[in-house]
Amino acid sequence: MRHSRHPLWKFGRFLRDANFSHFVVSVVVILVIWSITSATIDNPGRYLPSPLAVALSSVDMLYKGILPSYFADTIRRLVLGSIIGLSLGIPFGLLLGLNRTISDMFYPLLNFFQSISGIAIFPIIVIWWGNSDKTVLAIVLYTSFFPLAYTVLSGVREVPMKYIHAVRTLGATRFQVIRDVLLPGAMPSIVTGTRLSISFAWRAVIAGEMLAGREGLGWMIFTGQDADLTTQVILGMLMIGCSWIILDHYLLRPLEMDTIERWGLVQR
Amino acid sequence: MSIPRNIAMALYRRFGRQRLRRIALGSIPFIVLITLWYMNGIFHWLPPVFIPTIYSVFEAIFVLQEGCAGIVEIVALDNNCLMTTNIFSSLGRVVLAMLVGLPLGIGFGILAGMNRTVSKFLEPIGIFANSISGIAWVPLAIVWFGVGWMTTLFIMLNTIFWLMFFNAMLGVRGISRTYEQSVLTLGGSSWDVITQVYLPGAMPSIISGMRMSMGFGWRALIAAEMIGGDSGLGFMIFSSAEEYKVEEVFLGVLIISMIFLLTDRYLLMPLEKWTSNRWGLVWRPA
Repeated sequence: MRHSRHPLWKFGRFLRDANFSHFVVSVVVILVIWSITSATIDNPGRYLPSPLAVALSSVDMLYKGILPSYFADTIRRLVLGSIIGLSLGIPFGLLLGLNRTISDMFYPLLNFFQSISGIAIFPIIVIWWGNSDKTVLAIVLYTSFFPLAYTVLSGVREVPMKYIHAVRTLGATRFQVIRDVLLPGAMPSIVTGTRLSISFAWRAVIAGEMLAGREGLGWMIFTGQDADLTTQVILGMLMIGCSWIILDHYLLRPLEMDTIERWGLVQR
Repeated sequence: MSIPRNIAMALYRRFGRQRLRRIALGSIPFIVLITLWYMNGIFHWLPPVFIPTIYSVFEAIFVLQEGCAGIVEIVALDNNCLMTTNIFSSLGRVVLAMLVGLPLGIGFGILAGMNRTVSKFLEPIGIFANSISGIAWVPLAIVWFGVGWMTTLFIMLNTIFWLMFFNAMLGVRGISRTYEQSVLTLGGSSWDVITQVYLPGAMPSIISGMRMSMGFGWRALIAAEMIGGDSGLGFMIFSSAEEYKVEEVFLGVLIISMIFLLTDRYLLMPLEKWTSNRWGLVWRPA
């Protein structure tokens, strides 16, 4: 059955999948309710433009090239912020986790800063650096760093002592314990923390663009509301939602699942 | 026996060696940070426009509360008592959103957990609504409801409802069917199944959902108040920042995190622990 391996055939099976048909039905139902509501209320252009109007505005914005450039700006900020956040947060969490005294020392501090949301310190950062790209990047780093360091730290600490004892009994050095037991043992929490921190970073990018007034999807919906362009607001929200779902379901979640399957200390 | 030694012994007996060590170690970074902050006030490494002195942050309480006559005005949310008025209006919104959002989310969640068809239709909507983060709804909410109570309430409900929905649904799904079937075999109605099996069985998951929705909801509220609010702590820090009153911003941030930490530590965490002890379907060896 060679044709069963053809991508088109696979895609057809995906369409016939029960979950997918439910998904399509609920999307269609929402679109119908949305169109009916927008047709019955007064002044739909201001309160709830019809799906068709939103689609047309997306064509218009694509044609003018605004939408791709905003989208690229947002993604660029997310990627830059996540890369810096990950490369700072993971080593920091690991370092704290390796030494019990140091981890006991910094655990409450991490806990405290995790409870101050990035959005709450936003006004302070704006006073420091004004409405600049630096402000948005600082907010993204702040929101992604603490949850990540916290998760990695608890991951290292949750590696069962018996594995460490076993390796040490067999004569392993301290470095070997770190490389062969602690790092692989903490791998699932590192990946979980990565996903968590990227999801926080995504929110922070949107919020930062809205409040600091830098071009991007967040700015697009914020100025859309100011200029009474509700189609632009809804279009931006749809873009934000869809791009996160795609990023999460097709990149981050498979990565997390594979890592947990490969490295997770699940006892069977 | 000297007095410090007595105090040390009392602390030792009260907390035990391990916890005492952890408390002592954990307070070191805070002490260092506060000392640095205090020294910055003396040596002005960074100008007070960027980092206010500790004393001016403390003073900001009285600046904000200036002209506040007493308890009556505080309770009446008078505009002269800016700090307490903003604290209470934020807290009031949280309570209101919880009162509306929790029953709705739990109800729909249990329904979706019981019935596969309902969950298959509601789940994609929930995933999508969750992925549009709370703050992205603010512009649309302002268009619909204007600036004020309704907008902030809408943003919070949006966050709370879907979190509770997913937690209740997953909680119900995690219950083994044996319990449901045994209640039905013993002649219970489907209402009995809901009240005797689903609700208690999903309770640990519901309570941790409550803790999560408090965390995310509080963040969403602060964000919503900044853009779409006319009072509240988020509004306070945002409007203070526009006037470059950095000490009021610091005070506001400290209050926000304190309120969150206290409610989480002393209200929701004990509740979570108690529920999973009382109702969690965890097998404990005797």
